[in-house]
Amino acid sequence: MKTRSTLALLLTLVLILSGCSVATKSNTASSTTEPASSEAPAGDNTATTAPVGIEVLGMSNNESDLNIVRDQLTKNGFNVKLNIQPDYASFKAQEDAGNYDVSMSSWTTVTGNPDYAVRSLFKTGGDYSIQSDPELDALIDKAATQTPEEYTQTYKELEQRLVFDEARIAPLYISLKSQAVNKEILKPDSVRLSKSRALAWEDIDFNDTAKRATQPLILAQAASNLTSLDPIKGNDGSINQLNTNMYVRLVNLTDDDKITSEASLSRNYSIADGNQDYYFILRDDINFAKIENKKAVDTGERVGGDDVVFSLERAKNKDSVPDHRTYSLHEHIKTAEVFTDLNALGSIQQAGGKGTVKEALEQGLEAPISELVADKKQANNKQGKYQVVKLTTTEPFPQVLNYLAHQSAGIVSKKQVESINTYDVAKFDVNKDIPYGDQNTVTEGDKYNNTLYASGPYILSYKNDYEGIFLKNPGYQKGTDNEAHINQVNVRFIADADSTLSALRSGEIYVYYGVPETKYEVVEGDSKLQLKSIPSNAVSYLLFNTKNRDIAGNLDLRKAVLYSINQDEILAFYKNNKLKAVSTVSPLVDTGNELKADPAKVKEFLGLYQASK
Amino acid sequence: MVNASAARRETQLKLKTSQEYRQAGFAWVGSLIVTLALLLSSYDWETQAIKPYVWVACCLYGAFTLLQVLLTLLIRRDIMVRGEIHGVTRALGYIQILSLVTGNVFLVTAAFQLIRKRKSPEYTLAVYTLLTQIAVIAVSAINLYKPYVADTFLTGMFILLAVAAFHLLVVVLTAKFVRRRQVPRRLVWVAYPLLLTSLTGNLFALALGIILLVRIRNRDNPAVAGWEDVLERLTRNTTAMLGLLFIAFLFSVSVCSYVTFDYGMAVDNNYSLILQPPSLAYPLGTDNFGRCLFTRIIFGARISLIVGVMSTVLPLLLGGTLGAISGYYGRYTDNIIMRALDVLYAIPGILLAIAIIAAFGANTVNLILALSVGAIPTYARTMRANVLQVSTYEFVDAARAFGSSNAAIIFKHIVPNSLAPMIVKSTLTIGGAVISTSSLSFLGLGIEPHIPEWGNILKLGSTYLETNSYLAIFPGLAIIALVLSFNFLGDGLRDALDPKME
Repeated sequence: MKTRSTLALLLTLVLILSGCSVATKSNTASSTTEPASSEAPAGDNTATTAPVGIEVLGMSNNESDLNIVRDQLTKNGFNVKLNIQPDYASFKAQEDAGNYDVSMSSWTTVTGNPDYAVRSLFKTGGDYSIQSDPELDALIDKAATQTPEEYTQTYKELEQRLVFDEARIAPLYISLKSQAVNKEILKPDSVRLSKSRALAWEDIDFNDTAKRATQPLILAQAASNLTSLDPIKGNDGSINQLNTNMYVRLVNLTDDDKITSEASLSRNYSIADGNQDYYFILRDDINFAKIENKKAVDTGERVGGDDVVFSLERAKNKDSVPDHRTYSLHEHIKTAEVFTDLNALGSIQQAGGKGTVKEALEQGLEAPISELVADKKQANNKQGKYQVVKLTTTEPFPQVLNYLAHQSAGIVSKKQVESINTYDVAKFDVNKDIPYGDQNTVTEGDKYNNTLYASGPYILSYKNDYEGIFLKNPGYQKGTDNEAHINQVNVRFIADADSTLSALRSGEIYVYYGVPETKYEVVEGDSKLQLKSIPSNAVSYLLFNTKNRDIAGNLDLRKAVLYSINQDEILAFYKNNKLKAVSTVSPLVDTGNELKADPAKVKEFLGLYQASK
Repeated sequence: MVNASAARRETQLKLKTSQEYRQAGFAWVGSLIVTLALLLSSYDWETQAIKPYVWVACCLYGAFTLLQVLLTLLIRRDIMVRGEIHGVTRALGYIQILSLVTGNVFLVTAAFQLIRKRKSPEYTLAVYTLLTQIAVIAVSAINLYKPYVADTFLTGMFILLAVAAFHLLVVVLTAKFVRRRQVPRRLVWVAYPLLLTSLTGNLFALALGIILLVRIRNRDNPAVAGWEDVLERLTRNTTAMLGLLFIAFLFSVSVCSYVTFDYGMAVDNNYSLILQPPSLAYPLGTDNFGRCLFTRIIFGARISLIVGVMSTVLPLLLGGTLGAISGYYGRYTDNIIMRALDVLYAIPGILLAIAIIAAFGANTVNLILALSVGAIPTYARTMRANVLQVSTYEFVDAARAFGSSNAAIIFKHIVPNSLAPMIVKSTLTIGGAVISTSSLSFLGLGIEPHIPEWGNILKLGSTYLETNSYLAIFPGLAIIALVLSFNFLGDGLRDALDPKME
């Protein structure tokens, strides 16, 4: 009995003694001067005003970002309701219905030029735009015609208008682009990591080159449902990498987003004085490949000027196919033609006054240009017979080259596409007509009827729910450095990031493109893997509702949300594997703007908002 | 030869019937397992160093375990030599009570049983009431190491301490005054305050208070009610009582966390504390948003328990009623109800839950409904089978002969006599319901991700399994412990309610 009471007494004493020095939540909060300090959640500075309700819409794969945003808004006096949708389709449905105040959005500028980063998102009538601001439109159009030196200031003004003055978006961060490579199997340096362009398969090589013919290269991607294998009919994660490797383009982007003819259909390109005419001199060593009995065969048909003209004409024409998803990228193309006037070529000056277009196109060629031919079959580069394509834009627009490097400007076979797409576009019937590139035609089963003609290094043989099999194009730049090394590429469809990482670590796949930030440590800790990461063009931001919510017409409320966002905290969460952003052009143009969180401003704007109610 | 084996069998029987000996054996085995677990975790394999705190805890546990082994041998000798336990051996139990400081429930419960020669169920309940209270205080006291505590923390702690002191008094009083089924009238003054202290969520206090009051009321009635035997058998079952202790502790801590814990620590992000390993201020570490995992698990218990219990109670009531009606009336009623339920039964439960959540949105109420609907048919089937059997008994015929209405017969005579299997079934399925909640949260269909719920916490932890494994281990352990506790309790209840076990 004695022991027990002593024990109880002792325990009480300890508690009383320690109780004297215990810091409670409210006296800790009042002793720290800065309310935004992470130690003390600033619940009390909002005690005077009732919390403002706000609905944040997002997808479950952005759960962490949503939680950070929720936390920051809550600490700044909002009452946050999260609407988390499991997949993109349900998210989009909610977004289209306007069931949000703030929607968590992201944008990747796959073309690597700033115009694309703003045109479709913020211009009135843009294909992803819900904004309508004449001042923004004017700035976007102005910047488009300017050179990089000039447009920095214009984009700075645009950011000022878009983010700070009007608060149409609240920026969160720029992501890194990363990939993990199994260096025991692949040569790590052969797997490129480019800022904008998709992974180029033709460069990838095994450590043991004897495996090239016998072993497939195994990659992975999340989406198994391919939008379309017609390059102009899709612009999303399910087909970007695939179509990039199936269709060659007039130009390519280097790893740091410079325009290059390297590994493209053109040997050289040149911009004529006035920035409106563009000339491309074509290679003669690329043939279309097709699939026969699931094997890739050379069709013997060369990829030539008529195919280029056909591909670009249909890319810019909204009505060339049903569900054209990329025409707005190519709206600046006025005409494309096969150019045969050799004399004229010698007299046109290059932009910047560095000589004639002919000189520019002849640079580094084996044989100088002796003849320009209209028929692609006549071209023979060794004998000096070349094909040149001239492209004219609607206005001076140097960034058009970036769009030409995008997968949607991939070159398709005029003959083949015209023979497949025989339907009338206006009366297209999904149930009856089968367009070129329909994924059902390459999916194993009774609808399988592979009609693809690939101009790139690889061609899709067939796919199922588990993987897609790509085979090397036998007629692609044979004997050059650009010829694909590995004969077969298998793309596994693995939806879940954790499973993809497991597959990489177990050696089931060789490259994991787009490793999540939280997994960097795991990859770095694995001795057989190599992790590469570079800043990407992907920006995440909060988009405000512009239609049916209170927030659409209330600038004060939007600004209160804007200044609640603390990018330092986001960077801390991602262990600095994210970069600060101001708008979607941030990764491409250094405007010098920065968004700083400011709880005092939030309080002020919230006060204004509540006073106005 | 024959004599020797007969004698051995007799001592075996003596040992087997000695509650103290069985408990002492159980206690040292349980304690040894904890000691070994501590021993394993006291060595840091990466840095090849010993963790001092864990090592000290391990030594303490080891010392008490050793004592317990000796004590067990002593008890064994006492029983074999003298046929009963010596007073000195019993007094040694007081030393083992000291192991309360280390939080060793196995030894403490055994010691409390050992020190009393004659034990009433009330005494056992009083001891468990005290233990629950002390556990809640100990867990809440860990908050003292935090940079700051909730504003109501000190008040709350003093109230809890006062309640604990009162519970200690109750232990002493029940030990002194409660004889076998005899409770003195003046203990009313203990029973009512005891009921009041059950406001802290202490289920044992509630039970003890009610039992004392009932005993006082019936003290002149010599008849022994059935529940008293059940109670006695249940309180003698150590595993069931330990399971109940954990459940009562969780329930109580869920209630007390309103005052002694700071909810902000569980939901507010703190970017300067991301992924900290376990420390004194953050006993289970912090997660990737810098939230205290310990606080999250404590607050998570609330939702896990509510959803677990509610999604068992709802189908128990609904399914039970349908089953009773169906079993009693038979024929068309039976056919219609059971075939309708068969349709429901044909749909896999978790799939149905996912469909309901997907259609109506994720929140606690929908979660409970989603998990309940799928379980209705199994409860209805169990109830129907019981009712079919019970309604053939004579007392039902007697009631009918007296002209009781059907409803009265069903709910007054049949249902109470068919409840036992339902109770057992429900305690066993509560564990399953907790796991289902967690798996739905794990799939992202449960509660909003920032709200602490064990499944949510586990889901978050599972992505850090390799780098910060404690984020998944602790919520996983919590779920395991809760499910096991309900299962132990279910087993104990089944044994206690089974008339064949007499």
